[in-house]
Amino acid sequence: MNSLQANICLMCVTLCWSTEVIIFACIPDTVPPFATTCLTSIAGAILLGLCFFKRIKKALQKKESKLIKRCLQLGLLNTIYNILYLYGLDYFDVSSGAFTLSMTVVVLPVILFTLKKKVSVKTWISAGFVFLGILLAVGNNANFGQLMGAVMIGVGCIVRAVYIVILNKYASEDDPISMSAFISAIVAVISAVMWLVTDPTGFADLPWNKEIVASLAIYSYFIVAFAQTLNIFAQKKSTPANATIIYSLEIVFSVIWGTVLPASLIDNTVLTPWIIAGVALVVLGNLIEIIPSPKEKLSDT
Amino acid sequence: MIRKIGTWFLLILAYLIVAVPFKVMGVIPGFTDIRPVMLLGPIYALFFGIPGCIIFALMNLVMDAVSGGLAWSSIAGLLSNFAGPFLFMYYWKRVAKTEPHLKTMGNIAHFCIVIVIMAVLEALIITPSVAVFYPDVNWKLFFVTVTLNTSLFPILFGIPLMILMQEELGFKQIERKT
Repeated sequence: MNSLQANICLMCVTLCWSTEVIIFACIPDTVPPFATTCLTSIAGAILLGLCFFKRIKKALQKKESKLIKRCLQLGLLNTIYNILYLYGLDYFDVSSGAFTLSMTVVVLPVILFTLKKKVSVKTWISAGFVFLGILLAVGNNANFGQLMGAVMIGVGCIVRAVYIVILNKYASEDDPISMSAFISAIVAVISAVMWLVTDPTGFADLPWNKEIVASLAIYSYFIVAFAQTLNIFAQKKSTPANATIIYSLEIVFSVIWGTVLPASLIDNTVLTPWIIAGVALVVLGNLIEIIPSPKEKLSDT
Repeated sequence: MIRKIGTWFLLILAYLIVAVPFKVMGVIPGFTDIRPVMLLGPIYALFFGIPGCIIFALMNLVMDAVSGGLAWSSIAGLLSNFAGPFLFMYYWKRVAKTEPHLKTMGNIAHFCIVIVIMAVLEALIITPSVAVFYPDVNWKLFFVTVTLNTSLFPILFGIPLMILMQEELGFKQIERKT
């Protein structure tokens, strides 16, 4: 995979993630969020396990405890930032929430800088444009009552930035499919515990019907198995900063869904000039990052 | 032979995994015909050749039958779901001067254009039969729906999946015939 292909894969991953809200809307509120995460992660892990049994076995034989420890670390970080996002997003509407989540773009280069890792000028410029886009879209809409939500999402963004840096490092050292399967399994276990603690309804108490089963199935293979695995493969050829900038495209997709989909699925987004300008800057930031420079083209060939 | 049958079985299984949940659930209320499974058409054609095209077309017919949607227009559906991937494969393996390697912006753009042409061709095959047998159906909307399903899903999700398959999972495209 070259860097152009990695960028395309990361865009696809971001598109998949942005459809989460649509799939979630098909699952009734009576199904606790941790139950959804637990069940879809188990199904995703099983699917990957069945499809790539030999490959996972080989990776385990190679470095069993190291791989599991790394995935445990990633699974924990993944759960922490998702919980922070879950509760933090209650304070925002869909578009403001999506913009706020993308603050990882700004946090990540700063973390890399403090870790004394090299961040290219192109990435700083891209992150700058995305940050400006977020400020334009959210700043005009923000109020003091959202402070708690902003703090939770801010902390979530820091945790996610750390997650991306670590994932990027491990992706180039370990087998991405095995990583994806074990991260899913670990997230499933943690979510199962959270499910029991926050909402002790059992598996049988869930309001099972064919729509819920179909939604969970789609989420399992589409978001957990496919998007997560594609993400780890793409990370092998990408840098954390580059990946985070592309993830910020989720804003664009969320605004599109909020504009075109019915209100029964997603809170509709009112397209203000601020939001349009914000989206335009995010796209600009992405274009700067994605389009390969002549030097990058040369190194890819 | 056993290996071939195993591959066909896996192709059928993959089709079912992607298609069945979307048949069961209406993702967008009032708009039921969302078919992400169309992303598999070009992949089955390029990686598995004519058997892939046949399985893709037959499975579409089977899904129609199982979901109670079997009608006279399904024959046109069968034809178009075979012809689209087959012509796609024929173009890349016999006509085009380059492989669909998806390594450069130009090759990806080329790939997208061919997918859109394939989608329009498929819609042109199915729409007249729907217009003849089902005069109540808005054929213009039907044409647009088929074209979008057959072009957007292969472009948005099929291309990344192909990249993953050929660059990381070791799948090989069928050989080019000159």
